[in-house]
Amino acid sequence: MEISRYGESAIRILFGDSINVDINAQVRKFYFYIKSLAKKEIIDVIPSFCSCIIIFDNRLISFAQLVSDLQEKEQEMNCVDLPDSKILDVPVEYGGVNGSDMGFVSSYAGLSVEEIIAIHTATIYTVFAVGFLPGFVYLGPLDPRLCVPRLETPRVRIPEGSVGLAQMQTGIYPFESPAGWRIIGRTKEQLFNYRNEPFSRLQIGDRVKFGQI
Amino acid sequence: MIEIINTGMLALIVDRGRYGYCAIGIPYSSALDQYALSALNYILGNDQSLPAIEAIGKGFSLKFNVAIECAITGAKVKAYLDDRQLQPWTSFAAEPGNVLRVEEMLEGFRYYIGFSGMPTLEKIINSYATNLECRFGGYKGRPLKARDRMQFSQIRKKEMNLIPDRDIPRMSPPHCLRVLECPETGFFTEESLARITSSEKRTVFTVSVKSNRTGIRLEGEPLTFRKEASKSIISEGILPGTIQIPGDGIPIIQLYERTIGGYARLAIVAKVDHDLLAHLQQDDYVLFKMISMEEAEDLWRKKLRQIYSLQPRV
Repeated sequence: MEISRYGESAIRILFGDSINVDINAQVRKFYFYIKSLAKKEIIDVIPSFCSCIIIFDNRLISFAQLVSDLQEKEQEMNCVDLPDSKILDVPVEYGGVNGSDMGFVSSYAGLSVEEIIAIHTATIYTVFAVGFLPGFVYLGPLDPRLCVPRLETPRVRIPEGSVGLAQMQTGIYPFESPAGWRIIGRTKEQLFNYRNEPFSRLQIGDRVKFGQI
Repeated sequence: MIEIINTGMLALIVDRGRYGYCAIGIPYSSALDQYALSALNYILGNDQSLPAIEAIGKGFSLKFNVAIECAITGAKVKAYLDDRQLQPWTSFAAEPGNVLRVEEMLEGFRYYIGFSGMPTLEKIINSYATNLECRFGGYKGRPLKARDRMQFSQIRKKEMNLIPDRDIPRMSPPHCLRVLECPETGFFTEESLARITSSEKRTVFTVSVKSNRTGIRLEGEPLTFRKEASKSIISEGILPGTIQIPGDGIPIIQLYERTIGGYARLAIVAKVDHDLLAHLQQDDYVLFKMISMEEAEDLWRKKLRQIYSLQPRV
């Protein structure tokens, strides 16, 4: 756990420097621990692949005081009750009009469309982070055979529910939005609903199993 | 009720922001000039949680069908209520039939129009702020359009109130933004860093036409990464005001619409200058000046005292 400061009112806690399930599990544990403290001085927390950013109200507490509070209670972290990590089945229509980059992925990876679908649906992915857009899930780790670069120039608009690949990650766009990932399919599952809590169907540490429609 | 006649370049509903949901990717979407919003609610005698209209560009106009106090803060504009020219950052009484028109921009970019009552808008995820990209919050999740109408409840009549000139910040370019180090500051060459740390080697950027409410894109000589440094990072949390550097070396200043990013973070704009970001417009000159954390905290404390003085008078 490496603690540093980011701007006047945030703490950055780094748990490692690579994308993997173990490091992310530590981030997740720390995130739920911070949430369990329900400290009024903490405004927001951003957990992601390897780090947790804690945004605090510097009118109520200083950086030094908050860091020492957290260090003092570090032992308690191991006693925090973690929520169950749920598995969500996400049916996807792969290729065709729903997967405009399937052709690129196929030629880049040297795999047939059927092989790509078989590989993409074979893994149960972990939600490493939720962000970029509300409810956008960064999923991994991806089978290295599907590792593709991002688009040089992002698309201005892709439809809601698009499923994309970028480097060692796969993800789902919950809104029509600009996109730099390679789109291989589309789901009708609604992942974000601003009307009903918890708003996002998935949170850090949950898992996703894609299936072909 | 009020009815929008013309929205100028863009007008939308904002408030202090949507806090507490970063972990599921929900950004703050707050008013870009928070001080102007606080001042607006202060002079109208409103609770600080009330929403307002954030607008850019001349041409905005609306018609009142209600007797209500109104005010405009943020960018200084030449505005009229029917034929009467209005003072900036000063409340005025509007009567049914009056028309408010913003004819000219004088200084700054974004202005805030507020009313001494509660507009009948729906709170979405604890906030009235508009998430333009995902189309929720604010007025039906979209920018305002001509003929949109808003009703008001709890309208209060009060005496005219204003913010004295000395408390209205300077919003004109060149904009010197004070910045703090970030986790990837060390990714850049010494020559590049000198452009934000050394007064002799400071260089000017200009604001690109591609800027929007998500981020301010700059133009200028690219910053260079050290040979051994990676040009992207494992995506992680980003804060408003973070200056991100994509592979092309051209800075993007993040505003209040993203929670996670994957570009190297050169620096972060000190909180004391966050409100100024609302007023960066196309072709404006921008300079960066690295300051220490102690100085940033001191400047922010002073600004907070100024904001605290804007508490409703009892």
